[in-house]
Amino acid sequence: MTITTKPSAGIRVEKVTKRYRNGVVAASDIDLEIKPGEFMVLVGPSGCGKSTLLRMIAGLEEVTSGSIRIGDTDVTNHLPQERDIAMVFQSYALYPRMTVAKNMAFGLRMRGTAKADRDRRVAEVADVLGLTHLLNRRPAALSGGQRQRVAMGRAIVRETKVFLMDEPLSNLDAKLRVSMRAQLSLLHKRLGVTTVYVTHDQIEAMTLGQRVAVLRDGLLQQADTPQNLFRNPVNLFVAAFIGSPSMNFVEAIVGRGVATFGGVTVPLPEGSALASADREVVLGIRPTGFGPATGDGVPSLSVVPEIVEDLGDERYVLFEVDAPRVDTEETRAALEARSADDALLIPDERARFTVRLPGDVPVTVGEPLKLAVNPDKLYFFDPDSGDAL
Amino acid sequence: MRRVRKWGPALLLILPSLIALGVFVYGFLGWNIRVSFTSWQGFQPKYDNVGTKNYQDLMNNERFQLDVKHILIFTLVFVGGSLVLGFFMALLLDKGVRGEGFFRAVFLFPMAISFIATAIIWRWLLDNGEGSQTAGLNKLFSMIGLGFLRSDWHKGDSIWAISAIALPAGWALSGYIMSLFLAGLRGVPEELREAARVDGAREHKVYWHVVRPMMLPVLMSAVVILAHISLKTFDLFFAIDPKSPKIDTPALYMWFTTFDGYFYARGATIATLLLFGVALVIVPYIWYSVRSERRK
Amino acid sequence: MTVTSEVARPAAPATDGRNGRIRPRSSPWITTGKYVALFALVLFFLMPVYALVVTALKSPAEVSVTKMWDLPHTFSTASFQVVWPAIRTGLVNSVILAIPASVISAMLGAANGFVLSKWRFPGADFVFPLILFGMFIPYQSILIPLTRTMTSLGMVGGLDGLILTHVIYGLPITTLIFRSYFAGISDELIEASQVDGAGMLRTFFFVALPIAPPAFAVSIIWQFTSAWNDFLFGILLTSTNYNPVTVALNNIAGAQNVPFERAMASALLACLPTLLVYILLGRFFMRGLMAGALKG
Repeated sequence: MTITTKPSAGIRVEKVTKRYRNGVVAASDIDLEIKPGEFMVLVGPSGCGKSTLLRMIAGLEEVTSGSIRIGDTDVTNHLPQERDIAMVFQSYALYPRMTVAKNMAFGLRMRGTAKADRDRRVAEVADVLGLTHLLNRRPAALSGGQRQRVAMGRAIVRETKVFLMDEPLSNLDAKLRVSMRAQLSLLHKRLGVTTVYVTHDQIEAMTLGQRVAVLRDGLLQQADTPQNLFRNPVNLFVAAFIGSPSMNFVEAIVGRGVATFGGVTVPLPEGSALASADREVVLGIRPTGFGPATGDGVPSLSVVPEIVEDLGDERYVLFEVDAPRVDTEETRAALEARSADDALLIPDERARFTVRLPGDVPVTVGEPLKLAVNPDKLYFFDPDSGDAL
Repeated sequence: MRRVRKWGPALLLILPSLIALGVFVYGFLGWNIRVSFTSWQGFQPKYDNVGTKNYQDLMNNERFQLDVKHILIFTLVFVGGSLVLGFFMALLLDKGVRGEGFFRAVFLFPMAISFIATAIIWRWLLDNGEGSQTAGLNKLFSMIGLGFLRSDWHKGDSIWAISAIALPAGWALSGYIMSLFLAGLRGVPEELREAARVDGAREHKVYWHVVRPMMLPVLMSAVVILAHISLKTFDLFFAIDPKSPKIDTPALYMWFTTFDGYFYARGATIATLLLFGVALVIVPYIWYSVRSERRK
Repeated sequence: MTVTSEVARPAAPATDGRNGRIRPRSSPWITTGKYVALFALVLFFLMPVYALVVTALKSPAEVSVTKMWDLPHTFSTASFQVVWPAIRTGLVNSVILAIPASVISAMLGAANGFVLSKWRFPGADFVFPLILFGMFIPYQSILIPLTRTMTSLGMVGGLDGLILTHVIYGLPITTLIFRSYFAGISDELIEASQVDGAGMLRTFFFVALPIAPPAFAVSIIWQFTSAWNDFLFGILLTSTNYNPVTVALNNIAGAQNVPFERAMASALLACLPTLLVYILLGRFFMRGLMAGALKG
């Protein structure tokens, strides 16, 4: 059974700023373009402005300056009713005294659709989402997952040009969340409607988004495909935020074509922009940027594992590095910690790295281990501005 | 412009109520104050301006002075008594007793009957017959061996006679105060009390150190509500013993001077003073609760 | 964790320890003491009811103020029969007054409460305290303007002026009740309705009203009781034929030298309806009580 959908519309957010009366700036000069049919995820720590941006696109928050276009129309001053959008809320916001069928039909009813059409479309969507046997139940009699699907159904039935979703999966338990993620993806492929999706979970962002926009403190950091965010983060925050376990950071000195930190020297990659630089940097390397030393000229370092987390076919090895821990605003923001204290149970001054190794590499706590470092997988950031170098 | 479209209908929906209240509350209050500056007495309204003469006259008026003393005494006894009794009842019920529903229903039922009925019933309870004419509460006291508690109640000679009326008033309102305190006591999270117990505090210490500090807002609410009711109370006094000078209050005086004596200007003056008395407690109360709600 | 079907209550109390938590066991002395105190209080609260009922059921010959506490030797409904004609008119009038007044002010309160809690308009935060103040003013301060206005509108004598008065002065409390209630439903529900294409009015009718029945119950019951028990407006704005039951009661029993049994019988009859409402629907009555305490 197919669902008829209109051609989707793109969204253009131009220089949008939101300032509250008490001076708090929730969004600052945001420029974002979402292509028709694209699944765009807005992600960032709490308070970064992602929900505010979504709500401004919805018309539930006013835009202080800037404009928002949906398709060809400038909707900046339109009420939510006047925009062709549908929204799924974090709490689902199902009408408690209406049956599932009435919930789903409400939007159509408000727009004057004839009863026969309403019933037909509700039946279609219910079929796709597996809700047909629940149509006469009230929300109170549904499970969390079922309510979530009704909320989706309510949005789909209206055949709008744009879907907006505000953390729709965060109230589900972990397993349900993973399975719903996959279904959301399938649904999007099938319907092809432009979707803007908000989440604080970067894993969700990376798996669902065709493109992901990372926000922090009301500013757009980077909007790119998941691959690019991972491979080419534009600043320290994005690098720290994306990827799990998070990127390892250490303060290093770059000079004469090598980077030095904690007694280790690593040559810079070929053609690096820093080849002739002589400065301090923050060096970043992902847990996957190391490998077991193979001894064929690849730079290596000897480390003493402190903790080994064995997950079966892969291992996470944590070891100390003889250098101070990198504790900047960006790294803290990525962890959603407000001060140095928040991030650690036991305060510590030294940097700690996490390495992901295949499960068959022999690792013992306390016994030195040789790791190879791939210079191409090194990232460099300016210690003051956090920008990538 | 979009903003007006957004809240326009809302304003329209609430407008009739706003207009009605604007007239019937604020318009009338202003009108009443205006009358207090006139010399209107008799059927025909007269809107001249005598300045503050009415207020000055009132301050020097013996009956009014007595009334003010009366109402202060009454407020003191009534508020104090209701607070104590209400709090005591709340304490008894706080930890849960069997039949709590029954007890609460009994303590609260006086709120459901009119003050007139309360007054009529209590008028006979507060009878001040003596000897073989003993009746009401006095009779009850002597029947259970507490004859020494016999009193003339509100017909007594002391200026404190009016505090006898605090009995029916407290009987009517203590249940309400109990509900307030109970809600306040139970609003203290159990975890806090448990933490204190684990730390070694005995129950009475738990009450003193953990529960008591959190009760201040409730106490304030209770005092404000009781005080403003006390100033407004009319029905109770009117039906117990209307023209007795021993229990005359500003509210009663206002009634008789206006609707029996047609001294409208004087009545308006008394009413304005009552208004200020009430506003003194209520305005800070409203401001405080609206502000703390906004902060949440 | 779901917010879709919450029925909000004002000031919900936290756990009271009866859900399986271990509480320190009080000594048996304290527990017994508690129950003794509670029963003594029950006696205090019910003692006037006892005197009331007992006297009303005695034959007039047997009635005596000094023998107030004695049980009747013979049960008689003579007193009821004597007062019934006068009280009956009062009861009918009170019904005609209280039902429309409570229903209308509840409906208006629902609209106001919805707008104030869920559909911001500029000045909403300023308007609400102004409305609230209307709940606390001493009615003495508007009596003179009220009577003048009602007279010139030709609404004195019958019940229409009285109903209007109760509707208007009941607006603050019903608005408060609904505002608190609607504040408890999630904003996202209203937002979803907007996104679905409903403006304010349709959101009010299709989304808010369907979940409002509990608040209607509280408002209507509270206003019914309030209007029924009022005396001041009743005596001012109605003529004898249209007196509500509180005024009728005062006419029968208010004078000083009135047959005791008639006073008691008429008081009993006058109180029955609100008592009945209280007994059967007390839950809602109590929530109305708590709503008036704000949340300072």
